[in-house]
Amino acid sequence: MAENRVFDIAVSPHVGSSQNTRRIMWDVVIALTPALIAAFWFFGPRAIMLVAASVGAAVLTEWLCLKFMKRPVNFAFDGSAVVTGLLLAYNVPAGVPWWLPVVGSAFAIAVAKQAFGGLGHNIVNPALLGRAFLVASFPVLMTAGWIAPMQWKDGERIDVQACGVPTAHLMESGELDALSGATPLNALKQTFSWEGEPERSEEVRAMLFSKESIKNLFMGRIGGCIGETSVIMLFLGAIYLILRGVLELRLPLSYLGSVALFGWLFGGQGWFDGNPLFHLLAGGVILGGFFMVTDMVTTPVTKKGRIIFGIGAGLLTMVIRRWGGYPEGCSYSILLMNLGTPLIDRYTKPLSFGEVKKNG
Amino acid sequence: MSLAQDFSRGIMKENPVFKQALGMCPFLAVTTSVENALGMGAAATFVLVFSNFLVSLFRKVIPAKVRIPSYIVIIATFVTLVDLLMNAYLPALHSSLGIFIPLIVVNCIILGRAEGFANKNKVLPSIVDGIGMGLGFTLAMVIMATFRELLGNGSWLGFNLLGEAYQNQPLLIAILAPGAFILMAFILGFFNIMEKRKRGGAK
Repeated sequence: MAENRVFDIAVSPHVGSSQNTRRIMWDVVIALTPALIAAFWFFGPRAIMLVAASVGAAVLTEWLCLKFMKRPVNFAFDGSAVVTGLLLAYNVPAGVPWWLPVVGSAFAIAVAKQAFGGLGHNIVNPALLGRAFLVASFPVLMTAGWIAPMQWKDGERIDVQACGVPTAHLMESGELDALSGATPLNALKQTFSWEGEPERSEEVRAMLFSKESIKNLFMGRIGGCIGETSVIMLFLGAIYLILRGVLELRLPLSYLGSVALFGWLFGGQGWFDGNPLFHLLAGGVILGGFFMVTDMVTTPVTKKGRIIFGIGAGLLTMVIRRWGGYPEGCSYSILLMNLGTPLIDRYTKPLSFGEVKKNG
Repeated sequence: MSLAQDFSRGIMKENPVFKQALGMCPFLAVTTSVENALGMGAAATFVLVFSNFLVSLFRKVIPAKVRIPSYIVIIATFVTLVDLLMNAYLPALHSSLGIFIPLIVVNCIILGRAEGFANKNKVLPSIVDGIGMGLGFTLAMVIMATFRELLGNGSWLGFNLLGEAYQNQPLLIAILAPGAFILMAFILGFFNIMEKRKRGGAK
């Protein structure tokens, strides 16, 4: 309290705000809860266990780091570590062993956040850097741990239609010998490599872009990371954040708009051939667009800068999806734009009152 | 300054990697295993000692204006020697170190010691300085490689330490480029903290 006295000496009028870090962070946690329910529904209790392990490891690591650096350990409970832990767990496949999100969370908090000076000083999104760390360290687990949705309930019996991907087609052609549930984006990526068989790849793409597939994507009945699949539940959380005044819409709207535009432009085989709706709903775009692109610490503060950030991240996402080495580019595109944030802020700084435009 | 000081200075007090931040390129690139680190350290030490020796020997003959080209010629001679010797007798190590053997020519530790020490000192102290700096460089490489090999492969100098289960799912990033940068940051940070504590204690 003694430090706060410094700020009491300004001249009136003052505008009060009830917003503070703790409130915002817990709001985000509440907004992420619907997706957790969807994860339980589609991937079973296993998903909940992974999320709990991740959140626990994140808070514990935060506490240990603060203790080690002799800072107030209360910061560990301001909710920011919980958000990082949640987001990291939402970004791993449901089929991974329990220690994987624990290692990822510990890295995200200790290296991506606390080593740079703690909340507000990290240059990139900790959860996404944690994910990038896991992908680089355990490529097999992170790209093959997909579980087909509803498998935990139906046991061995797998509803091929429910997976949202044309698995039946792939099974017939001998492409798959077991079903671990390829993600829609994986299937799309494969079609790009069938250069010699335009008909086959066209057929698979038609299935992916079909109404049935879009519906599954929207509900979340697809293979994917724990928290990214159910678009409708993520929307619920986003609406809550908008109502609470936490979400500033420039970032998510410019990002989603950019993904849709470039998805339509080059998201299919040729030009102007992609399905913008598919590219919006598949993969991590909705999760990233509402909960990671909007990270207050690592994105621009200027209004123009936020729009540039969103468009740039959307373009990078689509470039990686179409031509990159990974089926999904959401996390890397946001990380790359995070690094450009100081530069964007610098060039979009609005003029101070009374300042004359240079060369104007 | 005594010979003992010339020798020990390179190992800790003025360690080329940890204190002078020289030789970063091989330090980051070839420390994927302890074996590579030892090989690289030995090769660099060999070149360092002999280049220091020759530079010191000719320090009054070499005109100041062309001293850098002269040093490079001397260093390149010994690097070529090491390159050919290693290729002949240690072909496996030679192929795993690859381009980084010829690149010893531009290793800033060697040029730095030629310019900063051998150029101004007598032959014997220069040789001792070369040995000390070479050992310091090797030590730094081995420390880094220990972390990277242990985390990234579960072994040390080829011996399996962490067991089969770990080796199936190692922390692969440790032997990739990003892991090198992250670990380097932590190691340099650790030495900076030690330095700060020591200075604080002296006051």
